[in-house]
Amino acid sequence: MHIMEGFLPWQWCLVWWLIAIPFLVLGVIELRSLLRKDREYLPLLGVCGAFIFILSALKLPSVTGSCSHPTGTGLSVMCFKPYITAVIGFVVLLFQALLLAHGGLSTLGANMVSMAIGGPLVGYAVYRLLKNTSVNIFVTVFCVAAVADIVTYIITSFELAVAYPAAVGGIAASFAAFFVIFAITQIPLSILEGLVLALVFKYIIQLKPDLIEKLGVFSKQQIDAALGIKTGVPEQKV
Amino acid sequence: MFENRKLEILTLIGLFAFVVLFIIVSGQSGHEFAGSDDVGSEKIAELTGKPVDSFTPVIPQYEPPSGEIESTLFALQATFGGVIVGLVIGYWYGQKRRSTTA
Repeated sequence: MHIMEGFLPWQWCLVWWLIAIPFLVLGVIELRSLLRKDREYLPLLGVCGAFIFILSALKLPSVTGSCSHPTGTGLSVMCFKPYITAVIGFVVLLFQALLLAHGGLSTLGANMVSMAIGGPLVGYAVYRLLKNTSVNIFVTVFCVAAVADIVTYIITSFELAVAYPAAVGGIAASFAAFFVIFAITQIPLSILEGLVLALVFKYIIQLKPDLIEKLGVFSKQQIDAALGIKTGVPEQKV
Repeated sequence: MFENRKLEILTLIGLFAFVVLFIIVSGQSGHEFAGSDDVGSEKIAELTGKPVDSFTPVIPQYEPPSGEIESTLFALQATFGGVIVGLVIGYWYGQKRRSTTA
């Protein structure tokens, strides 16, 4: 989903950077106040960030015959909301831009808007939608993670489409072309990511239910129900 | 505590399906398994009518000199994440055990 350095006109680099910066600033402020309030959240923050690191390093083959990587942002956006997730995503993308030539500094804004901001935001919307329903919390985690993943790639397709409209068919035609490259490749990966993060979330609530409860991610009743009644079976959606 | 393994089994099935899918797709000809980033870049070149090489970095950047070094850096990235996850889960597990036995 990285837009390579040099592959985006500078005007668009600027636009995406300008959108990304407020999220980054608000994220840093929120992060500081969270950690000042309670150091207890630091390990959970570490785990959420670590999964973004691990999953975005895995280039997996897909049905379209090309490789792509999951994003891992779903966990973080549920536990720490979109602003802090933007900061973690920024760190990962910066590492990849500086050392791996995956994405670049000029396209970092655009890559942040897709992976660190846009995808997680839509995932967060899904979480808010499902949070207070009777939907099993593992199903919720699955949906959030899978949606955050796939939307990241849809946004990348959009970013490239507006910068490079096709000669015939304009933005829509070139969006369709990029959508096939990025988003279709991503469908199986996002389902897998949803399953893996749901499993990780199960271990987190088994070990630290109080932390999830204190952050207000899910209520005690929901967590108890998920652990006690044992109906942790997410359906294959998306 | 760990008697319910439904989610684990489901994840394994998902993983298995993913591998089977890969084997089927890689059996067909014409798939290079290039990164979608590169495929995307080629598409940009196609849309603009300029060769891929003509897109030079706006801001100069370090590029891993070989695939070997790149894979090392990616492995380091994943290792870093793995170490943190193991450390924290272990720390929580220890906390939980101490609080239940004490």
